Amino acid sequence: MSFNYGRSTYAIRDDIPVAHREVWKKIREPGCWWHGADRIAFVQEARNARSCMACARRQAALSPHADCGPHNGTTHLTDVVVDVVHRLTTDPARLSRGWLEGIQAKGVTDEQYVELVGVVVAAISIDAFHRALGLPLEPLPAPGPGQPSGYRPAGVAYWGAWVPTVRWEDVREPEADLYPGRRPGHVISAMSLVPDSVRMLLTLSAAHYLPLECIRRPNDNAGRALSRCQIELLAGRVSALSGCFY
Amino acid sequence: MELRASARISGKPVDLEGIVAGTAVSTGIPGERALLAFAETGLGDDAEAIGDARQRVCGELGERSMVDAAGIIANFQRMVRIADGTGIPLDNRWVAATADLRDQLGINDYPTVRLMREAG
Repeated sequence: MSFNYGRSTYAIRDDIPVAHREVWKKIREPGCWWHGADRIAFVQEARNARSCMACARRQAALSPHADCGPHNGTTHLTDVVVDVVHRLTTDPARLSRGWLEGIQAKGVTDEQYVELVGVVVAAISIDAFHRALGLPLEPLPAPGPGQPSGYRPAGVAYWGAWVPTVRWEDVREPEADLYPGRRPGHVISAMSLVPDSVRMLLTLSAAHYLPLECIRRPNDNAGRALSRCQIELLAGRVSALSGCFY
Repeated sequence: MELRASARISGKPVDLEGIVAGTAVSTGIPGERALLAFAETGLGDDAEAIGDARQRVCGELGERSMVDAAGIIANFQRMVRIADGTGIPLDNRWVAATADLRDQLGINDYPTVRLMREAG
């Protein structure tokens, strides 16, 4: 069984491995625009990026456009896609609309990009949880069979983000589960071009942070051991250290 | 932004400078130094430093709090990349409500904000 935390030094809430297994299972399956093997390769490259000398040189460079040499990629992904995964992992605060347009000019579609983002950020957060607890990283799963579905939800359009999204007021079945209750923050709808990316986000956020229905109640800590102020202190500090305005 | 709301509800004053200044400024939140040290080390790869910070949170706030904290640190490593990677604007409800705070804390000087302004 994956994510078996029974041997961990610490008692880990049951909902956390359940969420991790659910997301890991989704990652190994074909998505809308990538095969399962591609999606697992995204996770591998996100891990590679943490020890990539080219990424280290670029992080130290004044410009994110500096030529810092080849990445330490070990997968079948193209150099362009490897670069996207590595930048998203190691230098996200310097991504820009112009950079994304350059990626698109090299053949990566909005849909492919959003799906890649969804997989990479899910894997980064699961790995981060393991690092924080001193646990070994979960082995990569075997890719599931099948072809990408090519599914694109109805109602997507540009609403201020660099990629098209589905607004709360435009969402329809079978995407109605993406925005339960009230209008969500933009960070929830950001990946709605690929609905399963939002579903993975909701699954992980409910376990790592708070269920969506609790977030807008400022005194609701969902029964966690930390107070809501302590939770938001951590959230704010990680965002600030990452140079993220959101 | 959510911290200001939760602090108001709790009725306890919180100095939000601690979000950007780290342990140099006290927020007044219990266990803040241990939590901030865990957040700061949790973004890196120094297993020994992470272990020390983890034990400090366990010692001051308990093991359950430490596991919760690990989850939150993990969560926001995901959320910042979604925001940075998709170029989402700040939510309308926060734009006016946090204008003073973003100026005060220097958030408007972050590279992500500058890049968004340059892109129009």
